[in-house]
Amino acid sequence: MNLKGLLNSTTIADRILLFILILLSLSGIIFIKEVLPKGHIVWIEVNGHPVYLLPIEKDRIVLVNGSEGNTIVEIKNHKVRITESPCDNKLCIQQGWIEKGSIVCLPNRVVVIVGTPEDELNKRVDAITG
Amino acid sequence: MQSQDKYRIALLSAYALALHGFESLLPTPIPWLRLGLANIITLTTLILYGIRAALMVTLIRVVLASLFTGTFLGPAFILSLGGGVISTLSMGIVVSLVPRLFGPVGLSLIGALFHNSAQLFLAYVIFIQRIEAILFISPVIIFLGTLTGSVNGIVSDMLIKNLKKADEKIQN
Repeated sequence: MNLKGLLNSTTIADRILLFILILLSLSGIIFIKEVLPKGHIVWIEVNGHPVYLLPIEKDRIVLVNGSEGNTIVEIKNHKVRITESPCDNKLCIQQGWIEKGSIVCLPNRVVVIVGTPEDELNKRVDAITG
Repeated sequence: MQSQDKYRIALLSAYALALHGFESLLPTPIPWLRLGLANIITLTTLILYGIRAALMVTLIRVVLASLFTGTFLGPAFILSLGGGVISTLSMGIVVSLVPRLFGPVGLSLIGALFHNSAQLFLAYVIFIQRIEAILFISPVIIFLGTLTGSVNGIVSDMLIKNLKKADEKIQN
């Protein structure tokens, strides 16, 4: 079936509906991305104690002093990764760039979390109650 | 219901079931992207034989497919049933209210929209209960549903035309 036959078999209402649905869903995708809170804060812990609280917007490289040595954390283009670690298996480096969630380096006791300020607040409450 | 209708419903249900099974074998790039191929049969049934036949075909397809895959009365079954029934009803209601306004493509789009909306609502009520997660994923799912829905509509349109042609040949 050619394109002309295809156009003839649809009614005007069909085409309007298709247009509206595509427009609405695409604008919805963009709108929701803007409105919903993103991971704003990079939170680095050593041995369960927070050592760094950094904005994800700003590109930088951080040296974290873990229990076995220095872990290097890189923040770039709203993403975070671990570039160097003294641990053996280097799982943390293999995990690569993350935009949200966390990277855990168990041997060196370094935890990198990307989250919202609310997450951080909830954590404090948990620490108090539990 | 005449016996000829029963045969038709059985045959169409078998087609829908086969498409449903075939679709679940296809790997998709995104886990929650379903093509909704069975909707081609539902839509064709609706336009050729009316809303009751279409509803029957949907119910038979959903129940049997879940029995075959072992998800009967499970969470996937509830989502599948809710989506299938709501989309069939929505298409049927639109067809009976404004019979000439939408062609198969438009009806398929309406069906896809209601199917996805019903599933998102059910997923929210039963499983996720986090409105941000649902809001985040809704426009993406509705967009993909619009794409697959229009393709299914085009296929239904071709199927309906061919079936009508075959009918005319038999009658002549």
